[in-house]
Formats: sequence, structure tokens, C-alpha cells
Amino acid sequence: MFWRLPGRSSPRPACLNPSRDRRGNKVWTPFVEPSVTTIEDISTVAGAGGAVQGTQRPGRTLPGNSAQRVDSRAMTNESVDANLPDAGAESEAQRRERFERDALVYVDQLYSAALRMARNPSDAEDLVQEAYTKAYSAFHQYKPGTNLKAWLYRILTNTYINLYRKRQREPLRTSTDTVEDWQMAQAMEHSPTGLRSAEVEALDHLPDSDVKAALQSIGEDFRLAVYFVDVEGFSYKEASEILGAPIGTVMSRLHRGRKQLRELLADYAAERGIQAAAKPAAKVDGGTK
Amino acid sequence: MDCNSLGDCSDARIVRIYEYLDGALTLADLKEVKAHLDHCPECTEQYDLECIIRSVVRRSCQEHAPEQLKANIITRISQIRIESGH
Repeated sequence: MFWRLPGRSSPRPACLNPSRDRRGNKVWTPFVEPSVTTIEDISTVAGAGGAVQGTQRPGRTLPGNSAQRVDSRAMTNESVDANLPDAGAESEAQRRERFERDALVYVDQLYSAALRMARNPSDAEDLVQEAYTKAYSAFHQYKPGTNLKAWLYRILTNTYINLYRKRQREPLRTSTDTVEDWQMAQAMEHSPTGLRSAEVEALDHLPDSDVKAALQSIGEDFRLAVYFVDVEGFSYKEASEILGAPIGTVMSRLHRGRKQLRELLADYAAERGIQAAAKPAAKVDGGTK
Repeated sequence: MDCNSLGDCSDARIVRIYEYLDGALTLADLKEVKAHLDHCPECTEQYDLECIIRSVVRRSCQEHAPEQLKANIITRISQIRIESGH
């Protein structure tokens, strides 16, 4: 297999095999060419709830006029196109059915993303519900055959920005981050991982609560970039469209977010690693008695 | 390629590994990084570590939405009337 590198002295961690997790998300695939998945139409919902009106695409509203439909979908695969629903010709009941079938399957994922945005589970639920409501209202503008999940995430992100972020108005950490980054880069130069193998082991076994706490404590913009790329597996371009930020900005947030996360996780792992070493017998008995 | 070609900077090396894992390199660069990983233990260590971090983070963010939320969404959207285009 191509991703098994020949001549390596140690085996790759299991996580390196391209695969899908239990929700069907792509687990990264390092040996492919840069992703060409497009969500070119995602910008048509830029305002998600606000600016969603008035971007009706040409050729969409004439039922049965397939000749005119082709030009707005010139970039998509023709053979797939033939089987796609014509949103303009649908009855309301059909559209609702299609929405429930195609869009509601992402509710767990949107909820997970919302938990990275909102302060608590209750706000996260409100956020997801609001996003779905907006998505349904704008569903006639979603272009069948394009990336529905990315489209929904874009709406979720906009909903969050409009509803919650204004309210919170947390000042973004700026100047101090630059200093931290610099110090971090220096530290890593001398000690590439900062982790001993026991700590790597501890890292791998960190409880979810630690990992979530670490993720939650990095800056919000960094956190969302890391979430969309590392957890959801979106390309830089897709993440940039979801977050409404230029690709370069997303890459820089991603880079800084990953570094901060790495430091925090290393701290947690070091703590756990030391605890485990101090009490080797403690972890065995667990709940078996 | 050796690490020095990256400007002798661990930061650049890590960025390269990020891009590699993200599928953001051209095929030529991809092959170059892959070849480099085959004989650079330091970069391989970084690479493995980054993989573990991603898998740990991904594992931790797999919440399930409450059933009630799905029910609420279905109720909400059934109350929306869309002006259909005809």
C-alpha cells in the first residue's frame, strides 16, 4: 500500500491508515493530491439568513427546462447532474422530505461543532436548531450535488457569529500570542517533541475531557480552524469558505492553533504520565470488582 | 531534501508536515516529504506525534446530539412556509 512507507524502523500508528471514523468522516489521506472538492456555491449563502435572498441562480426556477439548467452547473459532473433534483420544481412537501433526508444526518456533527462555539450544551442546541431553521429557509439556494455538509457548516458558523459572538464580544488575544508563538518555536527547536515516550503513551490515552478542555482554551478562531480541518477533514479552501476568511488566514490560525493545542496536550499528558508512573497499580482494577 | 533545506528551522519543518498531512502539497512536494520522512527520525517523530494528536482530538469531539434536538428541528421546519418559486 502506498501509505506504508518502506524501510521504516518503527511501525506507523494505526491512525495513519486512511479510513473513515464512525460517522463516515474522512480521516486524512496524506498521499493524495491537494483536494479538488469544491464548494463554489457556498458563498451564495454568505449572509445565511440575512443575505440569502436575492441570489437566485439563473435557470433554476423553470421546471423541466433542463437545457437552461446545464449552464449553472457547468462545473459539475453531467452524469450526476441528470439524477439531481430540480429544486425549483419541488413541492414544499418534497423539499422538506429531501431536507430531512439529506441535511438532518449531519445533526450530530453540527452539534459537535456547535459545542466548540457555544459556551454550554444548551446554547449549542439552540445554535444548531437556529442553523437548521435558516438552512431550511434557504434550502432552495443549495445547489444539489455540491457539498451539503460544508454548506450547513457555513450557515452554522454565520449563525454563531450573528447570534452569539456579538453578545460575548471577547477580545481576541493578539499581542501576547505573538510572544507565546515565538517562545514556543524556540522551545521546539531544542526539544522536538518535549515528550518522553511514557508521555506519548499518556497523550494517546488522555481522557476526552482533557482534550476538550485543551481545545476550549485556545483562541476561538484558532479552535474553529483546527476543528474544521483536523476533526472534520475539510480542505483549507473549504475551511476558508466555512469560516469566511482568506485561505492564508485560515492556514495561519490553523498553524498557531495546532501549536498551542500541542503544548497544552503535552502539559496534560505530562501530568497524567507522571501520575500513572507514580501509581502503576491504580489503573488496573478500575470497575472490574 | 534534508532538514537544512527547510532553513534549519523546526517551525518550517512542522509546517511542512502539517501540509503533508493536510493533503495540501503538490505531488512532487509530497513525494519529497515522504522520501525525507523515510530517513529522518526527528521529522518522523514529529509526524507521528501530529498523527496521535489529531486522532486524539478527533476521538474527543464525537458528541451525539440529544434526540430531543432532532425532534425540535423537525417541528421547527415543519412550521416554516417557504415561498416556492412557482
